Amino acid sequence: MTTTTGIRRGGGGGAGRGRIVSNTLAIVFCLVWLFPVYWMINTAFKPRSEAMTATPRFWPSAPTLHNFDVALNRTGFWTNLTNSLLVVSVTVVISIVLGMFAAAAMTRFRFSGRRTVMVAILVAQMLPGTALLVPTFLVFNEAGLLGTYTGLVLAYLALVLPFSIWVMRGFFLTVPVEVEEAARIDGASTWQVLWRILFPLVLPGVIASSVFAFIAAWNDYLIAYTFMKEQSQYTLPVWLASFTNPAQGTDYSAQMAGSVVFSLPVVAFFLLIQRKLVSGMSAGAVKG
Amino acid sequence: MPGTDQAVGGRRTVPAAPRRAVTGPPRKATGSVQGRGPLVAWALLTPAGLVMLAVTVAPIVFLVYASFTDYDQRSLFTGAFDVVGARQYTDLLADAEFWRSLARTVVFTAAMVAGSVAIGAGVAQLLTRLGSALRMTVTVVLILAWAMPTVASSLVWKWLFQPGYGVVNWLLTQAGLFGDMTDTDWSNSAPLAYVSIWLLIVWQAVPFIALTLYAALIQMPSELQEAARLDGAGEWRVWWSVTLPFLRPTLTLITLMSVIWDFNVFNQIWLVSAGGPDSATTTLGVFAYRTAFVAFRVGQGAALSVITTVLLLAITALYVRRLLRSGEDL
Repeated sequence: MTTTTGIRRGGGGGAGRGRIVSNTLAIVFCLVWLFPVYWMINTAFKPRSEAMTATPRFWPSAPTLHNFDVALNRTGFWTNLTNSLLVVSVTVVISIVLGMFAAAAMTRFRFSGRRTVMVAILVAQMLPGTALLVPTFLVFNEAGLLGTYTGLVLAYLALVLPFSIWVMRGFFLTVPVEVEEAARIDGASTWQVLWRILFPLVLPGVIASSVFAFIAAWNDYLIAYTFMKEQSQYTLPVWLASFTNPAQGTDYSAQMAGSVVFSLPVVAFFLLIQRKLVSGMSAGAVKG
Repeated sequence: MPGTDQAVGGRRTVPAAPRRAVTGPPRKATGSVQGRGPLVAWALLTPAGLVMLAVTVAPIVFLVYASFTDYDQRSLFTGAFDVVGARQYTDLLADAEFWRSLARTVVFTAAMVAGSVAIGAGVAQLLTRLGSALRMTVTVVLILAWAMPTVASSLVWKWLFQPGYGVVNWLLTQAGLFGDMTDTDWSNSAPLAYVSIWLLIVWQAVPFIALTLYAALIQMPSELQEAARLDGAGEWRVWWSVTLPFLRPTLTLITLMSVIWDFNVFNQIWLVSAGGPDSATTTLGVFAYRTAFVAFRVGQGAALSVITTVLLLAITALYVRRLLRSGEDL
């Protein structure tokens, strides 16, 4: 990174004071922004008796894994985790393979209609959730796909595929065409150029795109909540939300432990692909 | 002829071998894959295109059709429904609740976008003034907030603001600003529900905005600012007349994206307040969901979704134009 050559505060007498102000602001910001995450983790490791106290405990005095035990043994965790992993991985594999082909077409070929395809992808990415949810529900109801994993994968492809194409397109653009030209001169066919030269070169981008696709599908609550009717068919986000029980009182300790477990892979992935986050996300991976 | 290996490969992708012969050596020397023309391109696009046709285009067409029918709960079982013309639309336009939820959506979206863009821009600026250790810390904190799945963060929010044991209630009570807030039920009061959902959305939106703007800021040549300072401009003036114009393209794109995302926010509202109390936090998305999947007036829910989509179309068009023009290097 070239940050040091970037913006610097103007020199002069104010710099020292300015630095203190900036550092203070940064620390305050970190404390505020970190607080919800800290509170989730703090609650997850506290015994239930310490979670519900008139004066909140800011540190578990007797840290325990009990809440994780309760959460993971709650009805459906393992089935719903399996469902999530199954549906999400099938979605990711399909969208990455199709996305790679489409991205190659859009970056390595000139053809009329290319711009239209790009616009269509961007518009599809920005459609409101219910605009797809309502008709998909009706069609799936008709086709007997409601409450099936096939249906869920199809619905997730609508969510993930346009984005995957777009992100991969960005990564494909970073690979110079000259490399392929060299291979061509050596007599490689179109297919070989794609498969042996281009695809390996964009592999890091493909991995980043898979991670984005994984996160988008893993985080979906609305579609699974609407389409899956049986507890045994739920995915993890629906499982997690089902902790909320206004009638008998929510077990917040277990819910926070469940939240930690559910968020962990996403947070790990985010930190892993940190560097590619900004370029990738600009196409709108994780929607609100 | 090149080796058989290549010939086989060539035959697999391009239909006829003679073509290869015609476009033989001279062509190959100049062309990359690009020289291969539109046929291969469309072949590569077809699988994704078919899937998009099935899961996006067809549903949208069906959505528009459904919005002109009386599809309801019974239709889900019997499959029977009638085309009723524009009745769903005229009913909606005559429904005060529709106008109220539209107004709520617009105002709430404006508040969320303004809040997250302003704070995000501030944090981006702040990042440029920090030493590397503190900058790294802020970045990690941003990524943590960003990475939280919305379901998890919404549930954490409910716990933070829980009446009785919520830590925010306790902190506010200790601060003594608004009296004893221990038992305040945030989701049971319209303004408070808005405040807590606003905080949640802004909390999660700031990281993307801050990091994107920061990435743009470090591209800015520092001479620009130096020159302005030499001319005697104050810090605020430098930011306003030099930094802001430099950031404008990025800022515009981010704002447009935020408008679209925030207009469509669903999970957080649904999980924190479920659109309540009564329907105080029922935005268009929640209204459409309730109509289609709680009341099962599917035809009307479809009409609502069509209206929402059309309302967003203008902003989406702007966004697409900007993105294509900016060379997509945002």
